[in-house]
Amino acid sequence: MEKLLPERGNTWQLNKYLILTLLLFSFFTVHDSFGQNVPVSGTVVDDTGFPLPGVNVVIKGTTNGTVTDLDGNYSLEVPEDAVLVFTFVGFQTVEEPVNGRSTINATLGEDLADLDEFVVVGYGIQRKSDLTGAISSVKSEDISRLPVSDVTQSLQGRVSGVQITQNSGAPGAGSTVRIRGVGTLNNSNPLYVVDGMLLDDINFLNPNDVESMEVLKDASATAIYGSRGANGVIIVTTKQGSFDTDTRVTVDAYTGVQQVANKINLVNAREFAQLANELEQNVGNQPIYNVNDYQEGTDWQDYIFRNAPINNISIGANGGSAKTNFNLSANYFNQQGVVKESEYERLTIRLNNQYKMSEAVTFGHNLSFIYYNQQNEPGVIGNAYRAYPIFDPTQPDGSYTNTAPVGNPAAQFEYNSNNRTNNYRGVGNFFMDVKFLKNFTFRSNVGLDLAFQDSKSFTPVYFVSPTQQNPENSVNVSNMRNTNILWENTLNYSKEWEDHRINLLGGITTQDFYTESLGGGRRNLPGEDPSLWYLNAGELTSQTNSNTGESWAMLSYLFRANYTFKNKFLFTGTFRRDGSSRFGEERRYGNFPSLALGYNIIEEGFLQNQNFLSNLKIRGSWGKIGNDKIYVYEGRPVVNGNQNAVFGENEELVYGATITRLSNPFIQWEETVTSNIGFEFGFFNEKLTGELDYYTRTTNDILVAVPIPSYVGASNNPVVNAANVKNSGIDLTLNWRDQKGDFSYNFGIVASTVNNEVLDLGDGNEAIFGGAVGISGYLGSRTIVGESIGHYYGYKTAGVFQNEADLSSIPKRGPEVAGDLIYEDTNGDGVVNNNDRVILGSPIPDLVYGFNFGFDYKGFDLRADFNGTLGNEIYNAKKQTRFNTYNFETTYLDRWTGEGTSNSEPRVTNGGHNYEVSDRFVEDGSFLRLRNIQVGYNFSEVVLSKVKLQNFRVYLSGTNVLTWTKYSGYTPEIGGGNVLGTGYDSGLYPVARTFNVGVSASF
Amino acid sequence: MKNKINHKIGVLGLGILMSVGIVSCEDYLEKAPLGQLTSENFFKDATQATQAVNAIYSHLRSFNVHVFSYIGVTDIASDDADKGSVPGDAGFLQDINDFTFDANNSAVNGIWSGYFQGIFRANQVILNVPEIEMDEELKTRLVGEARFLRAYFYFFLVRTYGDLPLIETPLNPDEYQQSRVSKETIYAFIEEDLAFAAANLPEKSEYPASELGRATAGAAKSFLAKVHLFQNEFQEAYDMAQEVIASGEYELYPDYEGIFRREGEHSSESIFEVSTVALEAGGGGSQFNEVQGIRGNPNNGWGFNGPSDDLMAAYEENDPRLAATIINEGDTLPSGEIVMPDPNMGANARFSRKAWLPERPPSGFGNSGANIRLFRYADLLLIAAEAANEIGNPSQALEYINMVRERARQGNEDILPDVTTTDQADLRMAIYQERRVELAMEQHRYFDLVRQGRAQEVFAELGITWTPGKHEVYPVPQSEIDISGGSITQNPGY
Repeated sequence: MEKLLPERGNTWQLNKYLILTLLLFSFFTVHDSFGQNVPVSGTVVDDTGFPLPGVNVVIKGTTNGTVTDLDGNYSLEVPEDAVLVFTFVGFQTVEEPVNGRSTINATLGEDLADLDEFVVVGYGIQRKSDLTGAISSVKSEDISRLPVSDVTQSLQGRVSGVQITQNSGAPGAGSTVRIRGVGTLNNSNPLYVVDGMLLDDINFLNPNDVESMEVLKDASATAIYGSRGANGVIIVTTKQGSFDTDTRVTVDAYTGVQQVANKINLVNAREFAQLANELEQNVGNQPIYNVNDYQEGTDWQDYIFRNAPINNISIGANGGSAKTNFNLSANYFNQQGVVKESEYERLTIRLNNQYKMSEAVTFGHNLSFIYYNQQNEPGVIGNAYRAYPIFDPTQPDGSYTNTAPVGNPAAQFEYNSNNRTNNYRGVGNFFMDVKFLKNFTFRSNVGLDLAFQDSKSFTPVYFVSPTQQNPENSVNVSNMRNTNILWENTLNYSKEWEDHRINLLGGITTQDFYTESLGGGRRNLPGEDPSLWYLNAGELTSQTNSNTGESWAMLSYLFRANYTFKNKFLFTGTFRRDGSSRFGEERRYGNFPSLALGYNIIEEGFLQNQNFLSNLKIRGSWGKIGNDKIYVYEGRPVVNGNQNAVFGENEELVYGATITRLSNPFIQWEETVTSNIGFEFGFFNEKLTGELDYYTRTTNDILVAVPIPSYVGASNNPVVNAANVKNSGIDLTLNWRDQKGDFSYNFGIVASTVNNEVLDLGDGNEAIFGGAVGISGYLGSRTIVGESIGHYYGYKTAGVFQNEADLSSIPKRGPEVAGDLIYEDTNGDGVVNNNDRVILGSPIPDLVYGFNFGFDYKGFDLRADFNGTLGNEIYNAKKQTRFNTYNFETTYLDRWTGEGTSNSEPRVTNGGHNYEVSDRFVEDGSFLRLRNIQVGYNFSEVVLSKVKLQNFRVYLSGTNVLTWTKYSGYTPEIGGGNVLGTGYDSGLYPVARTFNVGVSASF
Repeated sequence: MKNKINHKIGVLGLGILMSVGIVSCEDYLEKAPLGQLTSENFFKDATQATQAVNAIYSHLRSFNVHVFSYIGVTDIASDDADKGSVPGDAGFLQDINDFTFDANNSAVNGIWSGYFQGIFRANQVILNVPEIEMDEELKTRLVGEARFLRAYFYFFLVRTYGDLPLIETPLNPDEYQQSRVSKETIYAFIEEDLAFAAANLPEKSEYPASELGRATAGAAKSFLAKVHLFQNEFQEAYDMAQEVIASGEYELYPDYEGIFRREGEHSSESIFEVSTVALEAGGGGSQFNEVQGIRGNPNNGWGFNGPSDDLMAAYEENDPRLAATIINEGDTLPSGEIVMPDPNMGANARFSRKAWLPERPPSGFGNSGANIRLFRYADLLLIAAEAANEIGNPSQALEYINMVRERARQGNEDILPDVTTTDQADLRMAIYQERRVELAMEQHRYFDLVRQGRAQEVFAELGITWTPGKHEVYPVPQSEIDISGGSITQNPGY
């Protein structure tokens, strides 16, 4: 195909064909007619006569239908000979033949054993009872409860097999999401699918907009997403309006205050002076401070922290006429950080509409526009940890104290806080559904994610100390734009007859990504007023600029078959073929199949007449999925430009360029093979329900930047298909739900175990080291065959050398003196050296768990959520990093000061022997957290009807209220980092404890 | 019925058109890197060949080659300088000063990776440029420059670590596991590269003024002389130094302090130096001066590499080189400012005047435009003198050492009298002493002490334990041993 448009032409040309086909297709469909239809309406009630909203009313043998409105009413155009099927979760299904009637009312009896709940799956929905995959759902009422910006945090402790770790307590910060452990050494983030749009993050979502989140865990569920589903998939469905429904307006608002939940224990001024003196004496210098001059001094943590407000308001409206429905919402979220000068503010608008053009054709869109801006704290957290408590923030004359060698946080707040990032983002999709030939549905879905970011920072002229000064002011600006365009065309065939139910899906999808950044900077602006913070105000000769771009694309073919026989035997087969531009031409495509079987034992005759067991199902799946999350151009050796040299009398800068990075054109897909066997069960008429899954997930040919020796001379470590890793574990979900009169209650548990084992690291790789810590960049993590990824690896301490006798009798490394740590001679060869290093722990927990309970009594409700981990360790990297004398954690107070004074904490030093990677810095990371507790009151309908309200609830909520842990840092949740070296606490933004009050109302 | 047929055609048409659309757009997945050349399009012509060579020179300004670790393992390790800065700052350099470092020391890691990255850049040129169709003369010169620079990197490495992996060409993934070869083999390799460069590079005077700063035949020969000296091959060192002297390309610059100022850049005395330039927008500077700059008032930098008491005492009375080398507290700078070190640095804080910048470069001291002097004619003359003395030619040795002293005298006949002794041992000590004061704070002293076999004795006088059999070389970075799976071995004693 000839290129009409440079660069972006391919996409356009491809899409041109598709548009053409689409137009042709629509033409055929619009002129279709479905025979004689008659209008039918009615009301659906339960057996107490109470109207039932949300009941599915479907014409039998089709997927055509509607749902009842809040008053249980529906209306529908149906063929004269149709049979209407009324279905609702928890109720028995009722069938009513039309027989020429225009009003058909129905009464549904309760059926706690009914499992015909529908669950969103990839490219469709499915009866829960027909599922063969491991999928967990979380519904809206559990999603919008936390006062957080990031909706993924709602899954924490709620879904088995999922570990959510808050990356930091900074306003607007995201989370690290791991579904069934770490299956790759690369990006282990799951794929997010929001209303059919494939995305890498869902930070932009307003939690109030979310109807449900489905977590797809095994291959049967994720394989339809092929190479993008290897780390699991989270499908988010936003709230939709309903046809023929009165408009309903909802308001949700809360306001609260956040405070630092836990401070790090640091010494005071007097203790600091004492320790710093000892430190100097230990290296042969004179003491510096007169200890008696100091008392408490400055608590720098108190100085940088504050009680910070958090506010949120959402207003939504939804409803619909016979031909259109809508859901409209606006949300404003504002969070000040608990560290001064940090802030996050977000405005989200959503518009979801559906338009019924005819019985056969529906158009729709889900659009959201987001504006958010963010200011990060100016790097004071690390400095507050290190700054000497002997210094006051300011001098009597008002100037900032020279707090060298650590920067003065007070001055940073004033001088380094002029940086703000504005983000503008539009995420949405537009779709067309066409039903034809009774059983077919064609869907074309165009998704778009456009993101623009601009940021600006200004640094004024200032002088605090020789190491904290800026002699020339400067302004830096940068812009970034991302486009992500998805186009999916799928064809669905669905048919039910006698004991058979079949559903076939086929499709073609393309997705195209482009990102470009543009930035510049200048110095020496003529003043400091914000009106001058523009590049043109700065000195032309000082200008710097940069501009980079990146693009990649995918082209995929997908196919799925579901078959159910007698509601008893279930089969799912999936196949996806993916092509990715990230790989060289030879290895561009990957094929990803999966197969799954299920057996609803509860449907067997021998289980029909008993009250004990209400559900029993067994399912098993196998599948192969891929992962392509590597750097976009990893397969291409690029030339680094601007390696400029200086030559000549006139000192001319001369352009230089060369290859400094290694690349590997032979890299190919990572492949993950997942097997899953699961049981679903219910007892006592579904009072007790649960699911138990056992899985193994083996990732082969993991793309990994294996650290290569520095003598190779490359500036990077090239990516190779090197390693194999296996994860296995059990996911358990249990729920108990019961009602006694006005009192109802529920209790739920989720628990997941992850057993992570590296099976192979490729030829010649005995170990991969990672996790640079300390001032010398010690590699504190190691990955070897037979152990878990990225375990901590270093010396095991065995006390402190007390005296010369110890020094001569106990094996040592060499530089030790009395008061230094004894590292164990683990191999018993009489000397301590690198061969004595051992495994010191792992950042991967043995168990990730959560539990929750809820009580309802008349209008009152109480909910509590707990979550935690067991069996993981945290590396206290901030304590190990002492480039200079810094403030001390209080553990230093237990130091050795002479024979018999301590056998655990060594004498005070800044570096050297006692700062090797050792268990001195490895701490227990297990924790249990009362994540959220909430008390609410729902006003009764009697009261509400007088003020025309449908629903009105007020509540009090506490988040991160209590944490039980032995870890000494701000929080035991350490997110982020490369999987080869995780769990390092190098100074995190503290997690806040939040108390808020809120209301939600609808009318 | 008609509708149904239309449907079937529709579906069929859709299927066909979709397949056609996609099949004909296979290059939908062709995404070339944006704004970056790929290696498939590189090393194609003379311009790119030159750019690749420039990129090696560019690396000479980088942090791990000639900045922090560099002054650590040379000056701070030596008796010329203490760590400097405030006591707790950069403890790993204190470990270097005290000889308590281990295989995880940052400086030891930095040098290793920095210099091997330079070798990688040189090897790209040495491998790829010969294949390019271009002017043969230029091609030979460019390969000569790359081989000169590769030798330069290896010469620093071999003195720092001893035995080394020998990387002659960019390695393929199946070649990443290398073992160390003997330092004799490395020296032979260095000599081969330098000999090629000496034979194929132009002399300094043959380059156009716009190319000053590129490697020359004279620089290659001078390094060859030094390489021989470091192997105690005195005859070869002498012969090579003689060739340089006889070439007439170089002479001593009259003003000793001026060598280190702007006017001394690429002066008659300069054999090889790293060119830098302080541009407003940056991109051509180095941090070499910043890390050694005055800390306090005026505030020019980090204050590392403080000249030691021992160095202060090493100068003969009234030797003007002392004032040109060392800045003391209370000194008045040409600007009229009085030097007040950061009080946290403690008593006797000093700074290198050779690394001092008279003016603040645009965008700060980290963007220094002062060239980094690597080899000057005085060094070569002292190599010639030392070699001459060792091969029994004291009169020649005296001539060269006194040339250096005469320039140092700056016309003042009352100081620095000519050395006259012809006793080989006395003359040797005189030359050693002259090397020390002439080249003080220019990163030569530590390697000289080791080469001369005097390190243990010299450090013992300073109360520092320097262990023979161990401290002749630094440890190989532990990470290299770990990552190579043990194919790289550690030096004895570490």
